[in-house]
Amino acid sequence: MIRNKHKTSAVRITLSYLVLGFFVLVALFPVLQIFTVSLRPADRLLSTSLEIIPKNASLDNYVALFTERPFFLWLMNSTFVALVVTVTGVALASTCGYAFSRYHFIGKKFGLLSLLVTQMFPATMLLLPMYIMLVMLHLINTYIGIVVMYSATALPFCIWQMKGYYDTIPTSLEEAGTIDGCNQFQAFFKIILPLAAPALVITALFSFMASWTEYVVAAQILQDTEMWTLPLGLKSFESNMGSEWGLYGAASVIVTIPVVILFLSLSRWLVSGLTLGSVKG
Amino acid sequence: MAIGAGLCLLLSVLAVPACRRSDDGKVRITIWHQDRIEIRMMLQRQLDRFMQLHPEVKVEQLFKETEELRSGFIIAALAGQGPEIVYGPSDQVGPFEMMNIILPLEDLFQKDWLAGYDPRAVTWYKGHLYQVADKLGNHLTLVYNKKLVPVPPQTDEELIAVGKQLTADTNGDGKIDRYGLTWNYTEPFFFIPFMTGFGGWIMDDQGRPTLDSRGTIGGLEFIKRIRDVEKIIPNEADYNIADILFKDGNAGMIINGDWSWAGYLKAGLDIGVAPLPKITSTGLWCGTMVSPKGFSINVNVTETKKRWVLELIRFLMSEGSQLEATKELFTMPTCLAVQHGDFVRDNEILRNSQIQIDHGRPMPVVPELRAIWDAMRPSYQSVLAGTMTAEQAAREMQALALRRIKEMNE
Amino acid sequence: MNTNTLRHRLYVFVLVVPAFIVLFGVVIYPFFYNVVISLSNMNLRHIRDWRIVGLDQYVKVFTEPSQPDFYAVFLKTVIWTVVNLLFHVVIGVFLALVLNQKEIRGKAIFRAILILPWAVPQLIVALTWRGMFNYEYGAINLILTQWFGLPAVQWLKQPLEAFIAVIIANVWLGFPFMMVIALGALQSIPQELYEAADIDGASWYHKLKNITIPLIRPVMVPAITLGTIWTFNNLNIVWLVSNAGEPSDQTHLLVSFVYKAAFNFYRYGYGAALSIVIFFILLAFSLVFMRSSKATENVYS
Repeated sequence: MIRNKHKTSAVRITLSYLVLGFFVLVALFPVLQIFTVSLRPADRLLSTSLEIIPKNASLDNYVALFTERPFFLWLMNSTFVALVVTVTGVALASTCGYAFSRYHFIGKKFGLLSLLVTQMFPATMLLLPMYIMLVMLHLINTYIGIVVMYSATALPFCIWQMKGYYDTIPTSLEEAGTIDGCNQFQAFFKIILPLAAPALVITALFSFMASWTEYVVAAQILQDTEMWTLPLGLKSFESNMGSEWGLYGAASVIVTIPVVILFLSLSRWLVSGLTLGSVKG
Repeated sequence: MAIGAGLCLLLSVLAVPACRRSDDGKVRITIWHQDRIEIRMMLQRQLDRFMQLHPEVKVEQLFKETEELRSGFIIAALAGQGPEIVYGPSDQVGPFEMMNIILPLEDLFQKDWLAGYDPRAVTWYKGHLYQVADKLGNHLTLVYNKKLVPVPPQTDEELIAVGKQLTADTNGDGKIDRYGLTWNYTEPFFFIPFMTGFGGWIMDDQGRPTLDSRGTIGGLEFIKRIRDVEKIIPNEADYNIADILFKDGNAGMIINGDWSWAGYLKAGLDIGVAPLPKITSTGLWCGTMVSPKGFSINVNVTETKKRWVLELIRFLMSEGSQLEATKELFTMPTCLAVQHGDFVRDNEILRNSQIQIDHGRPMPVVPELRAIWDAMRPSYQSVLAGTMTAEQAAREMQALALRRIKEMNE
Repeated sequence: MNTNTLRHRLYVFVLVVPAFIVLFGVVIYPFFYNVVISLSNMNLRHIRDWRIVGLDQYVKVFTEPSQPDFYAVFLKTVIWTVVNLLFHVVIGVFLALVLNQKEIRGKAIFRAILILPWAVPQLIVALTWRGMFNYEYGAINLILTQWFGLPAVQWLKQPLEAFIAVIIANVWLGFPFMMVIALGALQSIPQELYEAADIDGASWYHKLKNITIPLIRPVMVPAITLGTIWTFNNLNIVWLVSNAGEPSDQTHLLVSFVYKAAFNFYRYGYGAALSIVIFFILLAFSLVFMRSSKATENVYS
């Protein structure tokens, strides 16, 4: 009986690795092509050969990014905006989501539904009134304008998502906590929040990605090249015909790295395995 | 408590960049454009020189991609904002004029100053001058790899002959590796030369579409012929594919515009530029759309700034600036002195460029042009896909164009 | 209710309300602006002097002859959304389950690579996909012909194949997101439930159906709902991979029409009306979906 289980276990594990391997290849292939573009001279976006390291490969594009373009400036600007949005997002979503999960109040259903509603309108037609509004509020060319817009875009999902996660944590835990002597606040911070760590990671990652990669709103708001974020900088490599694909490729590779690093460092808490079982004890 | 304090700190930090724009008393002028990087760099040099001459002015340039330039400028100008100068091809004049967001210029520039420029460089529309251009072109040409094509073809039959010679399976794997000709032929703008070569054009003087013509049909059939019968062009090629085929030496010739030459030279190709061929059956040269790229002034510009805006435009349009640009960028200048000057005459690429420009026709500036592009695309691609005949397509294009124009103007 | 709870409640409200005010502020003005414009004749000829003309634009949205017409594109958009979400969720949850097994080594590396489609800038990756679908030179056809001996597919030149191509590209882009959500969701399931099921001799299918799926639902439902809404309106990928609707303007979603109307033809009134129609379609869907999944209620209550 145990031998059987081992055999099915071994089969299962081998299959798992095969599946993972397949998806890794699928995920990696187009990304490797972008890497290849960054190494290829003369701005060739595509190629007739499948080789990953092209003929005459060079790191010139990477060097040029930092020496000939203000890529570093864009990097700093984007990091600043993304961090602010992430911190704001996590702070607001964790509390709002908690309220929606634990409390019953008038307008709760409406509130939740309205979060969805904010996402439904096609962005195209929002540009003109948004611009008019930002001009009236003097938010053009400010980072406050951008942070507010990005938070507004990212929050609905994050709040809803946090609420969903809180819903899986029984209220009996907070009750047990208050009986043990801590107030509601401490119960929230010390008991519930750690359990909701995976959801916090998702919120952080999502908010970060929303601001790291967003282009349209940034293009409307940031008219000053000194304030450009990475997506705007990348777009400047593109012309209608005749884009600087080498630089674009190199920039894309570099832009991806912080996201992967962030994900790697946060994924500890995403799969923390800090399940209810261990807490109860 | 701590969270609250933290948020306040954050907000105050955010407010800092907003006040970073210190008022140093200078007049600020912004130019928006859609130019490629080589032009941007040159423009910056010229702007720096201007600012040295006039220390009380600060000029900034901002690049936006073509579509965004248009929509961004419209949104900003309608909201009472926007750059003082918007620089781009002449077809943006139509919509901008209709929305009343650019200034008429005929009273702002002297007549004898304007006379020093190619008449195609000044864009008049509905009785007013709306754009003055320092570059003329944006036109398609035949670009050939001198190693593969020592002598460029002059007629369509020669083109096919050269193409057939080159199109081959060079490594014996059964697939054709090299094509005689390649270009972004699925895009209507790149189809125009063959339409004109067979005697057609997209609209009449009143701006009404004239797509249902022998010119359109002839052009469509020609392209089908060189793809399916003579087989000198790839089965499917968009801009990027055509570009790398040519860059890799897998295509002897490419049809591309004046914006692309610098890139090919940088890639180390020994290229030549030739006018597009003459169609033997009609005796007409393939003419492309020629468009000036120039300056328009935002209607929201203040009176105080206006003087400097005009000064700046005159500076950038001057003979010196244009010669500098021509030498580096291979764009065709509009200043007559430079156009007829030694440099242009002695430069092989520019000489041929000029010939092609003379074969071409000005790009219409009316807003309906967009409707026409949009109407051409579906039927054109159906012909290429084999689901429609050329005659049908010409009729459909015309019908769709008329309908789109009607919708636009309701 | 003692003062501590009351104070705490007040505090939470103070944090909730400003967020909502900002959210609404950002969305309300543009929304009402569009409602007004949709009832007007704002277009190229009437850009500043537009006036209210009633429901004309809405009539145009539904009845204007075009190839393809509103209903065909609507159907296409629905198919697009459903197929994408289906693959995103199934692949995402599946990968999360595989990755969650304790016997797997090198999880961090797998996760890092699998998240790349989400992390890479969309423009260049969309154009790369477009390149991969090229008939003669694209990687997809090369693999099909050289490894599988299948005939090359005219991906970008036939409407159905083009539609499939954009779906493939978008599935590739979207599964990491669902995978991350699912990974997080799996953590919320108490281990003891599985242990109890094992003692009872339950099969993996049984465990999946009765423990895993129901318990990841509260976390997956927001992602699925919002994912549906985002996918429905996701213009970017379709536009870039199909080069703005090729072949022959067949590869479009409803939002493509909004974009074309507003940016190409300056028909702002029409664009606004179509946007409002899209909005109501999504609103109807959300109400129905939320009711059926009871997403606003708590799972343990």
